Amino acid sequence: MGFAEYTAAREYLGIIGQPVITYILIVSLLQGFFSILYLLKKEKYYDYLMKCLYINTGLYILGFIFLAWFHIQIYNTVLIEYPDFLRQMIPVGSSRFTVPLWIESEKLYFWAMMSMIFVLTVRRRKDLVSLLGIILSVFSALVYFFSNPFKEPLPALHNEISRWYAALAAGDESIFQIAGTLYGRITFYYNSTYMWTHPPMLFIAYASLIITAAACVYMLVRRDTLYDGIAYRYAKIGYILLTTGMLIGYPWAVEAWKDSAWWWDPKISGSIMMWVLYSAYLHAHIYVGKEKMWNVSAYLGILCFTSLIFTYLLTYIVPGIHSVVQP
Amino acid sequence: MRFHMQKYDYYLVIATTVILFTIGVVCVYGITYYNYLAVNPQWTRTVQYSQYIDGMNSYLYPFLVLLLISIGLCIPKRLFEQDILVKFSALVMGITLILTFLYGIETGLGFILAVMIGVQCLVLMHTFRKSKAIRYEKEGDAGRIGSSLLHLGLVILVFNFISLRDNPFHISIFWGGMILITAGNIFSFYPDMINRLLFRQSRS
Repeated sequence: MGFAEYTAAREYLGIIGQPVITYILIVSLLQGFFSILYLLKKEKYYDYLMKCLYINTGLYILGFIFLAWFHIQIYNTVLIEYPDFLRQMIPVGSSRFTVPLWIESEKLYFWAMMSMIFVLTVRRRKDLVSLLGIILSVFSALVYFFSNPFKEPLPALHNEISRWYAALAAGDESIFQIAGTLYGRITFYYNSTYMWTHPPMLFIAYASLIITAAACVYMLVRRDTLYDGIAYRYAKIGYILLTTGMLIGYPWAVEAWKDSAWWWDPKISGSIMMWVLYSAYLHAHIYVGKEKMWNVSAYLGILCFTSLIFTYLLTYIVPGIHSVVQP
Repeated sequence: MRFHMQKYDYYLVIATTVILFTIGVVCVYGITYYNYLAVNPQWTRTVQYSQYIDGMNSYLYPFLVLLLISIGLCIPKRLFEQDILVKFSALVMGITLILTFLYGIETGLGFILAVMIGVQCLVLMHTFRKSKAIRYEKEGDAGRIGSSLLHLGLVILVFNFISLRDNPFHISIFWGGMILITAGNIFSFYPDMINRLLFRQSRS
């Protein structure tokens, strides 16, 4: 087992995963189409919409199983054995990758999959499901074109693994720097327990909060408190996961970034902003029955979701320790 | 009296919502300013970074104080009548202000947070004992315990961030606060389910 087996598994993931995500795109486009037709008062298309949602959820889960298989292959095939002369620098003899299923291009996929699952739980509210059907159809298109986990699986991780094997073969001094960086990445990032709790909790929260946002839109359009009830129900789930997930990130940051400048980093500021806005939404909701408060609550719910999207995008648009872009 | 209290509660909720929203605005300012400074890739290694951190803290602290006051008014209201509550809050605020002028805002904040932790522990104790000495808007054990746990967890966490950053137990205290907040959220949001699961079972 080694690099050759790993690259074979990576290629095979592309072969089996690419058709799945292509089908997801096709079914999502149909789903969006049927959602629009339903909203144009064509009741009979709702059944088709639901079928698309079920098929799409199934496809997402199938793709996720393929990704899990690939991650198991990474664990089985890639063994980083540090040469003896590195022992003073690295306290372990070898490392394996236990890579979580929500990194790099996989995170948007995971979020989309969880959103599909959540939408199925509101299937009785046909109008809301139709709006969510359109949103998720756009979401799936974004996953396909900008964050396809099967097109070039885990490019950053692949680059790190390739560089390690290349440095090992070359046997030059670059191995010191590469080994040091890789050991840090494996210990504090890929194999960190926090990585298995902090991101998935946040993505599941985001999935739940999509429904809150859609229900808030309907609340303003229809002026029906029924939608407020739905928005609140999903906001509660989202808020619990958001709060706990965000808090779990703190000891991780203290441990992994102890020598770095991370306090008031843009992503941290964005996360605090998102959390205080959701806290404000839930606080305002206490008096939602009072005159005009439902209005405030609905606008706040939409603003909160806008802040959520903004916070997610911060990783890609603003430099910082939590970002992929550098100045 | 009850009507008066409800109106007071309503304005308190509105005030808290506005304060939370304003903290969000401070964060947006932080993101924008960080982005502006990050034109120089090495800026976090310069004095500019510590100035930025100090600046952000100084913008946040006044709103944090306001938030603590609004929560502070929210917590002891369960224990005291309104006139005593106002006197109690005025006394705490007075001491906080004196400490702030003498020793800085972190000491002032530390004091107000320590008082709030004490009061909230008292509230929690009374809640567990189902004492008649405290008042709640919410019905049911789970909702009341949830609210107490949530407030206690929150003040412990903020106290830990402000006054115990260099304490060897900082992370342990953090986990304690986090568990209280998570449990408080679950108890507050799903009181019926928790009542069914925990309290009725224990009675039967």
